[in-house]
Amino acid sequence: MVHKFTTTVKESEMAKSSIQNNIRKLRFHAGEMTQQELADLARVSRQTIVAIEKGNYSPSLELAFRMASIFKTPLEEVFIYKGDADSS
Amino acid sequence: MSYQEKQNIVNIFSGLLVTIIYALMVYQRHQQGQFDLTDDFQTWGRIFLVFIGISVAVRIVIQIIFHIINAIATREEDVPLEDERDQLIKLKATRNSYYAFTSGFVLSVLGLALGMPVHWIFIAFVAFGLIAEILDNGSQIYYYRKGI
Repeated sequence: MVHKFTTTVKESEMAKSSIQNNIRKLRFHAGEMTQQELADLARVSRQTIVAIEKGNYSPSLELAFRMASIFKTPLEEVFIYKGDADSS
Repeated sequence: MSYQEKQNIVNIFSGLLVTIIYALMVYQRHQQGQFDLTDDFQTWGRIFLVFIGISVAVRIVIQIIFHIINAIATREEDVPLEDERDQLIKLKATRNSYYAFTSGFVLSVLGLALGMPVHWIFIAFVAFGLIAEILDNGSQIYYYRKGI
């Protein structure tokens, strides 16, 4: 069964941050890992994972690397830099 | 609503409660003639020191009560751990409250320069201290909801 993840960040929320992420997709491929499980592994609160997934918070470099390490994937597969959100 | 948001709301109300009740008590004593707040700056010093002590004690009690009620209501006994996002939110909120208090201080000094009575600066300290605290907690609620 193929699951298609269109985007993890809504269009309206994308304008807030120039960094998008694939955390929802990666959690699904990691055995439907819950936000709480990821939060425990990353040593942050579940609210922080929710905020990162929604694009409301850009994590520190250390947390970003920690999350990439949890998913055993390169950092650029977890977070994608889309350039300056304000520039046209 | 998250634990932090609830805690900030409790902080705002406890700050308002303690400051208003204490201010009313002091004002009542002033009216009864127990001390003269318009000229006695030593008394102002004592009032501030007692206020700090009472404020800290009452807030500790309110925080304990809040934690107990929250634990009963949500069945979550552990306080959520503070991570980098929480720290950043606190830092930004502290910056906002610092701006508010500094503005208040400058306005108070400006008032003195324009000829306002000296005791007004103490009243302004209390008022702007309260505003700064509300802004601190309000900012935290805003950042938790809207993101940073």
